[in-house]
Amino acid sequence: MAQLSIQGLRKSYGRVEALKGIDLEVDAGEFCVFVGPSGCGKSTLLRSIAGLEEIDAGTIRIGDRVVNDLRPRDRNIAMVFQNYALYPFLTVFENIAFGLRARHRPDAEVRRKVHAAAELLGISDLLQRKPRQLSGGQRQRVAIGRAIVREADVFLFDEPLSNLDAQLRDGMRMEIKRLHQEIGKTMVYVTHDQIEAMTLADRIVLLNQGQIEQQGAPLDLFERPVSRFVAAFLGSPQMNFLPATVAGDAAGPAVRVEPGVVLPLVGARAPLPPAGTAVVLGTRPEHIGRAAGTPRPGQHPVDVAIDLVQPTGSRLYATFTLAGIPVTAELAAHDVQSPGERLTMWFDMTRAIVIEPESGRVIA
Amino acid sequence: MTDRGAMRGFSDGRRTGAAGARATPFVDRNFKYLMIFPAVAVILFIGLFPVIHTLMISVQNLTMLDEDTSFHGLVHYGRLLSDGRFWEAIGHTLIFVVVALPTELVLGLALAYLFLDRLPGKQVFVALLVLPVVVSPVIAGATWRLLFDQRYGPINQVIGWFAGEDVTILWTVDPAFVYPAILIAEIWQWTPFMFLLLLAALSNVDQSQLEAAEIDGASFWRTFFKVVLPAIWPVMAIAVLIRALDLFRLFDVVWALTRGGPGTLTETFSIYAYVQGFQQFETSYTAAMSLVVIILLAITVTLVLRRMEIDR
Repeated sequence: MAQLSIQGLRKSYGRVEALKGIDLEVDAGEFCVFVGPSGCGKSTLLRSIAGLEEIDAGTIRIGDRVVNDLRPRDRNIAMVFQNYALYPFLTVFENIAFGLRARHRPDAEVRRKVHAAAELLGISDLLQRKPRQLSGGQRQRVAIGRAIVREADVFLFDEPLSNLDAQLRDGMRMEIKRLHQEIGKTMVYVTHDQIEAMTLADRIVLLNQGQIEQQGAPLDLFERPVSRFVAAFLGSPQMNFLPATVAGDAAGPAVRVEPGVVLPLVGARAPLPPAGTAVVLGTRPEHIGRAAGTPRPGQHPVDVAIDLVQPTGSRLYATFTLAGIPVTAELAAHDVQSPGERLTMWFDMTRAIVIEPESGRVIA
Repeated sequence: MTDRGAMRGFSDGRRTGAAGARATPFVDRNFKYLMIFPAVAVILFIGLFPVIHTLMISVQNLTMLDEDTSFHGLVHYGRLLSDGRFWEAIGHTLIFVVVALPTELVLGLALAYLFLDRLPGKQVFVALLVLPVVVSPVIAGATWRLLFDQRYGPINQVIGWFAGEDVTILWTVDPAFVYPAILIAEIWQWTPFMFLLLLAALSNVDQSQLEAAEIDGASFWRTFFKVVLPAIWPVMAIAVLIRALDLFRLFDVVWALTRGGPGTLTETFSIYAYVQGFQQFETSYTAAMSLVVIILLAITVTLVLRRMEIDR
């Protein structure tokens, strides 16, 4: 049964439509991540679920209750804010205990639960400190502690890691994932970071301009994007998009990206439009590799001249120009020594996608 | 970060330079003192000099008619101890402080809460509400005197409509009504001051903390005492302090409404000092009186500031 169910949710600020009809089901115990560029409506959607924003139309159900007209306090949710929103004048203990005390739980229970949460998050020795005496990561833990003692039905996270530095963020991301595995509660998590979305989510909801562009398991979205927007949003470095024309021949469907460069499309695909139609070919950097040995089926050679080399240590991003567009390939660390090198790349055409340029829909 | 690092490096460099070369000019070594010297001099001149001068006068026997500058010791201070009218004036002043201050605070806070949300026409209403503060207190007092007039004043008229008969309350004479009259005028004039400061303070309370408290299920009062009050405390404490000191030197409204009367029933310390100094011409006695009050206030303010932990 769905723990959180949203139907036809709409919300406008004056003339600006922030959410244009959202339908969404989140299963009990699921880790659901709302992701999208800034202004896509993901935070508004989360705040609507929390009851911090009034909605214009639609229904929100938590469990089997319609919560549209319930105040945030009555929705039995817990939320972690982007800036943590710790109460600066209370100790860590009282911060975590706040929700329990507000609900007049007995003192012994409050103490037991706060200590259990602190234990879980590794902040037991900080309980008597004030928030301003804590580091960013510690504050983040306190904010999470405040949420988990509540034993809420749904946990909401509003970009909780965006104020942390990169190293801490990786650590906290792991801890949040572990926490979800341990307590098994329904969690809804907002981020603009596609890595966070990919690594944390059971289900990604990718929002664009107030609408759900695509939702599903992370690898589903990554491998089978429905649109150019989804394909471009997920993956780093970004997918390469090459203008091309359909060039079917006897051997099967293919696209021409440049005079003399015809790439055959391999794998089971929807039929392509007639030959000569303009399309966009999408191929991920990790699906372009330096030619070596015998190619696997679907790998197609293209000769290129490297313009730019960006080593990351473990990998190397090499950029070359094809069809007048800079194309990035993700190679092994020592595949290219310096810019200007000419070499042969293998394009893995089993993974490439074809996009209809006008609508941005993936057609094959 | 870079800026701070660069600055630290810079000052370190200067310090070692100064220690190494003994020949650093005097002006360079004491530059910071030279820079603040004018301000310090002005503050000493307008702050400390009058106090010392008052102290000197208080141990002489000056009146406006007799320039007796010989040393009289603590004679005026002794007289003060047994001056019932002085202590009564202090008492009256305290009544005004104790009643008006909490009332202004609570009303100001309530109004600020009301105006916290975005309301249509909010700016206009805030501007209207703040108007009393711009009126000179003497003018305000004179206006209230007209309003309170027993025969022609609109206040008695309005009460009369409700009572169904002519009402002639002697607001500025009747001992039962003089305090309410003065307090109404005073609270009317200065509640907006509290309102304005508290509105600014409340608007600065972190919105997400309030949202977190709402999600946590905290009641209005729990949120107020645990989240809002600590956040607005520094501003509120200063506002209370300013108003307390203002109320302690309360003069104009009382003077305009009752002149301290009937008898000396509403005589505040400021009025008594004025009467002694400028009507009885007891210059030295007034100096002693003022000095005692200044010292009492200084002690109180210091203690209160320490308790308030404003710089927490």
